[in-house]
Order: sequence, then C-alpha cells, then structure tokens
Amino acid sequence: MIKVRDGHLDTLGLLFARYKKPLFGFFYGMNRDEELSEDLVQNVFYRILKYRYLFRGDGDFRTWMFHIARNVNHDNFRKNKFRHKESIENWQERLGTDENRVTEYQKDEERQLLELAMHRLPEDKREILLLSKYQDKKYKEIGEILGCSEGAVKVKVFRALQELKAVYAELEKQF
Amino acid sequence: MEAKKIHQLLIRFNSGVAEPAEIKQIENLIVQGAIHMEDIEGFEKLNERILNLETPEPSISLDDRFHQMLLKETQATKTFDWKSFFTWKDFAPRLAFASVTLLIGLIVGYVIWSPQKEDEKIVALGQEISGLKEMMMLSLLEKESATDRLKAVNLTQDMDQASKKVTAALLQTLNSDENVNVRLAALDALRPYSKDGQIREALIRSIAHQKSPLVQVALAELMAALQEKGAINELQKILDDNETPSDIKKKIQESIQII
Repeated sequence: MIKVRDGHLDTLGLLFARYKKPLFGFFYGMNRDEELSEDLVQNVFYRILKYRYLFRGDGDFRTWMFHIARNVNHDNFRKNKFRHKESIENWQERLGTDENRVTEYQKDEERQLLELAMHRLPEDKREILLLSKYQDKKYKEIGEILGCSEGAVKVKVFRALQELKAVYAELEKQF
Repeated sequence: MEAKKIHQLLIRFNSGVAEPAEIKQIENLIVQGAIHMEDIEGFEKLNERILNLETPEPSISLDDRFHQMLLKETQATKTFDWKSFFTWKDFAPRLAFASVTLLIGLIVGYVIWSPQKEDEKIVALGQEISGLKEMMMLSLLEKESATDRLKAVNLTQDMDQASKKVTAALLQTLNSDENVNVRLAALDALRPYSKDGQIREALIRSIAHQKSPLVQVALAELMAALQEKGAINELQKILDDNETPSDIKKKIQESIQII
C-alpha cells in the first residue's frame, strides 16, 4: 500500500486480488445482496485510491481497508435505508414458505439456520462477528477499526455470540 | 479471582442460570483476559461455524470494473504531476523552449517597437496610403468602364500632392480617353496643377487634340482664367476650323478676348 501511496498505482491490483474476496464476504454477510456487495467492494477500492495519501504506513493495510469498508457500508445503509429493508424482505422471500424452509434446512440445516440467525442479529452485532471472522479474531485491530479498546471488542464479541447462540437455539426449536 | 470461582461462574453461565451481575462479572473477566471465548460452552463451535460459512464468489465484472477504474486513475495521474514536471530530464527541454520563445519575443518586440517618433510613423503611414491610392488610380484608369475611369480621376482630388506619374496619366486621359465626361473630369483634376509650367504647356498642346466642343470650351475657359497668351494660337485654330459650331466659336472668342 505504501507503493500505491507513493504513486505506483499498478500495485493496487495485487491488493485487490488478495482482499476482494474477504471484503465481498463482509458486505455479503451484512446485506445478502451480491450485486450490492460488488458495488461496495468497488466503492472501497475507489476510496482507497482517492485517499491513498492518508495511509500513514504505520498500521496494517487490512485494518485500514476494513475501516473504510465499514464507512462505506454505513454510508450505503444511510443512503438506501428503504432499499435495504426491501432487500431483507427479498432475502426472506427467497427462503420461501415455512414448509419449503424445512425441506431446505434438511439438506444443510445447520448452515441455513446459522445464516438466518446471523441475519436476525442487530446490525452492530452482525458486523462485529463478521469483522472477527475476516480479521482473524485480531481484537486489537478490530478495536482500531471501531475506535475502541481491545477489551471492549472482546465484550462486544461475547455479547454478539451470546445473542447468536440464543437466536440459533430459538430457530432450532421452530424448525 | 480464583480459578475455582471463575469455573463456577462459567458453569452457572453455561447452564443459563447466571444473574445479570454475574454476566457483567464474566465480561470484566473477559476484558482482563482471565476468561477466553473458548472457555464458554458453544462459543468455539459457533465461531468455527461462522468461519466456515460460505459466501458466493464475486463475479468477473467486479475485476473488470476495478481495472477500468485503476486505468482511468493511472492515466489521470500521469497527465500531470508536479514532481515529474520538475524532474531535470523533463524540465530541461521545457526550460530551453521557454527561454528561446522569450528571446524571440524580445527580439521581435524590439524590432517592431524600435525607437521611432510617432510623427515619423504617421508620415510613413500617409505615404503608404498615398502610394496605394496612386496605384489604385492608375489601375482603375486602365479599366474599360467609363465609370471606373471617372472614379480614378476623382481619386486624384483626394491626394494632397499628385506625383508626376499621376499628372502624366491625367494628361494622357485628357488627350486620348474616348469618353467626354472622363476627359472633362481629368481636366478638372488637372486644374490645381496648371500653375506648373510643364503641365500648362501640355494643356495648351492638348487643345489641338480635342474634338469635343465641351472640352474645347472648358480648356478655353481655363486658359482665360490662367491668362495664358501661349494658348491663343491653338484657340485660333479651333475658330478657323469650319466644323466648329458657332456657339462654341462665340465662347472661344470671348475667352480669347479675356486673355
């Protein structure tokens, strides 16, 4: 990234190749919309290019990138609040009726239930779990992204997992 | 806190009977690093399953869009860069070009605005205009159209001082132009220069060339006005000519008497 900052823009291609998938996974985990997630990944790299001179070089690039990704996600959420709600409805529609759901869950019940449980979590809790996943549980770095201490991140993760566990258990009872 | 108490706390939490205060205690222990996520039942497995959650692959169009954006930005950056602008390798030819242009500008400026008085310039300009008028007049005299030739003769009236070339052309017109009006206009144009001896003589000689009564009368009147005795012989010849109308003869006679 330092090379990119110093004008060797071509090297950004390497960073894109390395990080497009985790970034896409983060956005997809947040909104369950492939097209939108691709737009947001593009948006993140656009901002990286635009604000490359702000990268100080003393921190981790991935942390800086996820910091931007988080802002991009929030901006998008604010801009398309209505559309976002709609996309959740679409997502639910895709699951079909309860009967269909049961049939689908029989195939890969655990995964489907976990995805549904994740989506039922409040946005901030879902976000902390996804950041934990894509930042390899590096709580200190996550703290830098969120602007809080490592301890605070651990507590957030604890609470998110606690709620996820409860939602999951609830869903298991339903289906 | 003792390990035993932490263990008991975890058992209560894992069984789902922990009080809010106990949960707060667990959170504090997590912050302190005394409890890890893996210590809590189900969390490790949950974490693992989140990690294994599959996400779809981004499409190839994402790559295309990214590379297009990168190319656009790279080109935009290459278009102008102050740092590279001042790199000696690129800067030297630019500096040389600018210096040469400036030098040429200074020389041209010096030549154009060389010390010269405004009056001199105006005089030179006046001379140029007169030269142009003269050239135009001479070329118009050659035209077939009588109107054009009249225009040419009239042009001389705008000139402050006609050159010998112009007066010679006017005399030529007076003697040989086929159109009476043009000849009359030429005579009129020559009037201011009749004080010149050579022109006066040429005018006297012209009397013999004139066949048109109008021009003859005009010449006779001019001679009378000039009190030119040398013209009497020529005028007498017109009087002696039988073809001359009587009215004209009368007029010429009057002019001779005045002289």
